[in-house]
Amino acid sequence: MQVVDRKKLDIFIESHALERVEEMLGRAGFKGWSVFEGVEGSGAHGAWRQTGIGESGACLVVTIGGDEASEKALEWLSDYFKTYPGVVSVSDVSVMRGERF
Amino acid sequence: MIETALAAAGANLLAPAILFFALGALAGWAKSDLNIPDQAAKTLALYLMFSIGFKGGVEANASGFSSDLLAAGGLGLAFSFLAPFAAYVVLRSTCRIEWVTAAATAAHYGSVSVVTFAAGSEYLRAMGVEFSGHMAAVLALMETPAILAALLIAGSNAREPGARFQPTLWREVLLNGAAVLLIGSFIVGLITGKRGMERLDGFVGGALFQGALCLFLLDMGIVAAKRLAEARTLRVATVLFAVIWPILSGIAAMFAANLAGFSLGDATLFTILVASASYIAVPAAMRIALPKADAGVYLPMSLAMTFPFNLVVGIPLYHAAVQWIVR
Repeated sequence: MQVVDRKKLDIFIESHALERVEEMLGRAGFKGWSVFEGVEGSGAHGAWRQTGIGESGACLVVTIGGDEASEKALEWLSDYFKTYPGVVSVSDVSVMRGERF
Repeated sequence: MIETALAAAGANLLAPAILFFALGALAGWAKSDLNIPDQAAKTLALYLMFSIGFKGGVEANASGFSSDLLAAGGLGLAFSFLAPFAAYVVLRSTCRIEWVTAAATAAHYGSVSVVTFAAGSEYLRAMGVEFSGHMAAVLALMETPAILAALLIAGSNAREPGARFQPTLWREVLLNGAAVLLIGSFIVGLITGKRGMERLDGFVGGALFQGALCLFLLDMGIVAAKRLAEARTLRVATVLFAVIWPILSGIAAMFAANLAGFSLGDATLFTILVASASYIAVPAAMRIALPKADAGVYLPMSLAMTFPFNLVVGIPLYHAAVQWIVR
């Protein structure tokens, strides 16, 4: 089985930032990503919950790409997280059909 | 007169909407698995705004464009914009809240609550008190000036990081869904008038509206109880602010409405609007504008304290006080 090494980013952000993060990922060179809506959780800012009233849920953006795209995204996110809450984790992954990432 | 006011307050406590709110709060407090799916709650909120805006537009069409509308709109804009400055000073001096959270909290108390307005309208209908349709437009106008006031307060503290002005925020402030739907429905009602109401009467009023309001309040009760249980960082002073501030701002609104010559129903609704606090449009804007503000302070205050207080005690109290002032 032919696999290639890539970087996987799990970006956890508030939903209002989703549009900007997706735009940034495109500019950084990622060819695709998936967005998952959070239900509830707890973090440095206390407990949060997706409700129809007063609170919109957080989003998880998962993307896989090359080293260069990953570096550009992390640079943008490190600036973003100076102001807004969120988390990003980076992991080394092996993927099939490497030309897609 | 006091006996009448107490009887009205007692009747309000036993209204289905209040009892469903209490049921939700009890379920939330007891950690029941009773739950309104968030998309259903959003749909109910949209339906309430659609109905309130449309009915207001139809009634404004029937009564025609009047100077009362301009006076009410102007007064609403002034209160919504100026109240956050006063609230900010009080929050900083008495509650000892850090400036950015105080600015965000002040915005909540300058803006308004659609559901408190809906509950107030239903209370007045049950009491047989007439009010103008254009008060729905005043409700829509009072949604956003408070956000701008909070940004000005934050801008004056720009030495601290956190206040960000960006296109996303302006879109959130000027085109937030609640304001667009309220104003849009009001305009549709204004254009279509009686002819439009004949087509939508069964949808925007009567038992359907009452049922939706009860269901939404059930959800509000659940959310408020959960929020209150999580609010461990609140000081006594902030809890007192959440209850006393609506009364003080309500008193100012009553006298202003009386000076402007509002009718009893309009003055009561205006007081309810000024005394209410936002928990939908403003939190969303504050997350973008003032991300360093602590949502663990402003959301429990507006949603879990001020809203239930206004719903259960405030509405009949304001109505009784306005009856005394507006003669």
